[in-house]
Parts: sequence; C-alpha cells; structure tokens
Amino acid sequence: MIKKLLIANRGEIALRIMASAKELGIKTVVVFSEADRDSMPVQLADEAYCIGPAKPQDSYLNMAAVMSAAEISGADAIHPGYGFLSENPRFAEIVEAEGLIFVGPSPQHIKLMGDKQRARRTMEELGVPVLPGSEGVVTRVGEARRIAEKIGYPIILKAVAGGGGRGMRIINSPAELEENFKTAQREAYLAFNSQDLYIEKYIERAHHVEVQIIGDGERVIAVGDRECSMQRRHQKIVEEAPSPFISQQTREKMLTTVERAAERLGLRSLVTFEFLVDEDENFYFIEANTRIQVEHPITEQVTGLDLVKEQILIASGEKLSFSREDVKPFGHAIEARINAEDPRSFAPSPGRIQFLFLPGGNGIRVDTAVFQGYEIPPFYDSMIAKLIAYGRNREEALHKLEVALHHTSIVGVKTNLPLLLSLLKSPQFRSGNYTTRFLEEEFIW
Amino acid sequence: MKIEEIKELVDFILSKQVEEFEIEVEGLRLKLVKPKPEVKVVEAAQLPASQALSQEPRKEESEEKVHYITAPMIGTFYRAPDPSSPPFVKEGDHVNKGDVVCIIEAMKLMNEVEADVSGVIKEVLVENAQPVEFGQKLFAIIPDND
Repeated sequence: MIKKLLIANRGEIALRIMASAKELGIKTVVVFSEADRDSMPVQLADEAYCIGPAKPQDSYLNMAAVMSAAEISGADAIHPGYGFLSENPRFAEIVEAEGLIFVGPSPQHIKLMGDKQRARRTMEELGVPVLPGSEGVVTRVGEARRIAEKIGYPIILKAVAGGGGRGMRIINSPAELEENFKTAQREAYLAFNSQDLYIEKYIERAHHVEVQIIGDGERVIAVGDRECSMQRRHQKIVEEAPSPFISQQTREKMLTTVERAAERLGLRSLVTFEFLVDEDENFYFIEANTRIQVEHPITEQVTGLDLVKEQILIASGEKLSFSREDVKPFGHAIEARINAEDPRSFAPSPGRIQFLFLPGGNGIRVDTAVFQGYEIPPFYDSMIAKLIAYGRNREEALHKLEVALHHTSIVGVKTNLPLLLSLLKSPQFRSGNYTTRFLEEEFIW
Repeated sequence: MKIEEIKELVDFILSKQVEEFEIEVEGLRLKLVKPKPEVKVVEAAQLPASQALSQEPRKEESEEKVHYITAPMIGTFYRAPDPSSPPFVKEGDHVNKGDVVCIIEAMKLMNEVEADVSGVIKEVLVENAQPVEFGQKLFAIIPDND
C-alpha cells in the first residue's frame, strides 16, 4: 500500500484526492506555487512544499521541482490530478524510473492516447467505431482534398498532438480547405510543437458522450457514461450521468465495446473514452483521457463508487474490488461547473471572494477549495466549484440543482451562476436532447 | 476617592516616566501598568507545514537594510561543495555579487546558488543538508553601501 502520496495539483482536485488518501490512511504531501501559499490544500495536507513561482511552467509543470519535493518528503507515489502533468508520458516515466508509483495508466498508454491519430487507429483495430477520416498524418493540401471528397464535407482538421478541444478547424468546402490548411499546420506547430494534422468527418449535430472505465491491468470495468454536450469552446460546463439522449441499448453497446477494447489493451487506472454520437445514435471514438476527469463525481453519485479511492488502491497494486455486475447505477446526477468569469463575455474574473455561501443538503455535493476571503489567483483555471445534484431521476436532479444554484452566493468576483440558472430553465436542456452546438449557437438568454 | 480624582491621578501618572504604579487609599487599590509594545507570538504548530519548514528568525531586524538570498528551487541545501570541504561562506564573510554561496541539490543535480548582491553575510538561516522550499530565505546579507 502507498504510504505517502504527493499530490501534484491544486484547487478542488487536490482536496478531492487528499480526502481519498486520508480515508485510506495515506499521508499526504502537496506541492504549491507561490500564488497558492494560502490555499486550502496547503493548509490541510500533512506536508506542503513551495516548488516555484505562480506561472504553471515554473511550478506545477516543473517536473524537476515536483520530483525534488517527492524526494525531500519521502513520498512513494505521485497523483497528478487533471491538467498540468497528468497526461505527460515523460513525467510518468520519470516517476516510475525513480522507483515511485505514478497514480495513473502506464506511460506507454498515456503516450498512445496522447497521439490522437495512433489512438484512433488502435481503437479501430480493437473494434471501436471511429469517424471516417485520413489513415494517418496529412501533410499536403492536395491529399487533404482527396480525402475530404471521399468522406464528404464538412470535415475537421485536427492537430495530432492536440486535444481537449484545442488545435481543431472545421472546414465546409474545398475553398475553405485551401485557405485554412497551411494556417492550421502553423497553428499546430506553434501550439504543440508539431505541425502534423489529420482529417475526420465532421458531424454537425453531435452529442458528446463519454465512457468511464477503471482497470487493474487485467480486468476492465466500464462503470458508466456521461453526457457532456453542454460545452463552450470545447470546455464542458454542465455534465449529466447517465446521458439523457442515448437509449439503454446504445449505452450497453458503448460500454461493452469500450470495456472489451480497454481490456485487450490492458489499461489500468481511470481512463475516459470520449465519443461523438450522431442523431441516429451511431457512436464514434474521438479520444481517450488517461486521468481523473473533472466530471467524475456524477459517475460516483449514480454508482456509489469512490473512483479516486479505487484509483489509489489499483496504483498500490490491488486488483479491482468489484465486478461489472456489482455496478448498479441508480438515479441521475448533474454537475454544474461554477467559474469565476463574466457570464456574458466569459472573461475570467479573478479576485477576492468577499462573501461565500455554498449549498448542501439532500442530494447536493460541492467539490471546491475556495472559502470566504480567498483570493482567486489569475494564473490558473477559472473553475472554482463543482455543484453536483443527485436525484432518483433526472427531473428530481434538475430541481435539486436549480434550488442549490439559487442558494449559492458568491460575492466579490463575477461568476457564471446566472448563465447556469438560465441554462437549467431552457426547454432544450430540460428535454435532455441538446448537442455540442447548443450553448454556443442556439442558446439565447 | 471620587471618579474625578481618580481620573486626575491617572493622567498625572501617565504623564510621568513610570512603568508601574500602585496606590491604596481608603480601601481602594489602584494599579497602573503602562502597556508594553505588543509582541506577537505565533505557535509554529499552527503554521502550515510549508511555513513551519522555513523557520525564519524572529529577531528584530534593526539594521536598516538586510537583503536575503533566497532558494531559486526546491531541494537540499548544502553549504560546501562536498562534505570534506569548508563552507562556501560563513557569517561575517564578505561576498561579491556572483560568488557561489551554497549548493541546492535537486534531482541529483548540484545547483550552485550565487550571491545576487555584494555584501557581508550576517546570518546563515538554514542548517547544512536541510530541505529548502522555493523562495525560502537562505542568507541574510548586509549589502555594501555603494
């Protein structure tokens, strides 16, 4: 069993991981930047070490500093959380080379999934449907044109090294392709240090549905699906479990397909498979995230599982403690991400929280690290809390979430609370049938 | 004694260079103690681990200007290039800007830390071979005047 866990992250996810570690009797260490000295994770960890200045590159992304803190503290495992170093195969390799446990999939699997084109090819080989597109990297515009004609417009140009919604361009016509191809290559190079692009068919009215798996390297269990279509610029804002859009039959098919592929790969830890689902419920693999997801709590609420605890146990060398049959999802959970940002312009709104009241009670879970008087630093993500409502059915979860949002009070910074409340009221959201374009293109408030 | 008399007496005592004053008249005992400058005591145990680690001296820094050389990275602090050598600097030494004052070992790499000002080492704030955090004060130095 892990004895001392270093959490290489900040904010709510650092606290979330800490809670599971402490529950398991594991000592906790956090590393922090100068901007986070007064943060809750630093106060609550058994040990805390400042590893650099505020800028992520100098602290949370500084592998040498994180490893040095691990050495000094005598931690025997590192949990990377999400973002930062969580999907960096080099970091996972270094952690393992130093004889420590990396709480996550193997470096090889992180690397595989990080290369979007290779991941897509591998999934296809393992029987997971993928979107029609290029076989590999497309280097010339002429080649791109031929592929586009074969699969039909619109298409999407994607950076091989991209992900998380970055490095993509939607192309509607041959003329647009001519115009955008070189720019997309240059953008990809600037953003990801690789100009490699690939092509996929673009589905105009798509649902983003993802499947959460947990594996111990031998056995894999798909624990459930999540609807994540409520996005703005590929950033999720509201997530639901289970998806209100897909049928039970589609769900079964998705879970089984993913489970089988993941088991053949021998995946360990938590991995999320993201799919696009079209109007006819055809599903296509887009990418896999080899880390704990922001929206993991909704799966926890409907399954009763503690995913982070399971993840730590597996990292400690234990086998899965349950079987597929033990996973009996019940009810419905919805998560709303509260961001410190202007609800209209989406401009981040860092600053001091002068007054704070967070709701609780039946069916309400709040994952956060902020408190009254806390100064939200301008250097990191604007998400300050996740409000998760659970009910016996979707209707009940919706009502509980609405009440909880009304009962939330944050003074001192701007938040997206008005947007969230308005979203919950919209007939389309209520109907449960909304696509990834809804928030950006259709929703008016 | 009447209230007015007490007031007068207190004003009178406070105007004098007296630290403590005690009087007993007609069964009334009055004791005056002048407030001393407040000394804030912070229990180390109450500090988060990070701050407890960087035990900074709580001495009054009466010198007008003290400059601190801080750790440019997290790691282990070494005062000498190797265990058998004398320390790079000791208290009272004069250092020039750019002189190596210590080593911080991070990831098995020895990183030399240089003085960022010229001056006299007033105090070495960390014990040899102790872990230091990013930004932790290592040396107090009195910079040269010019």
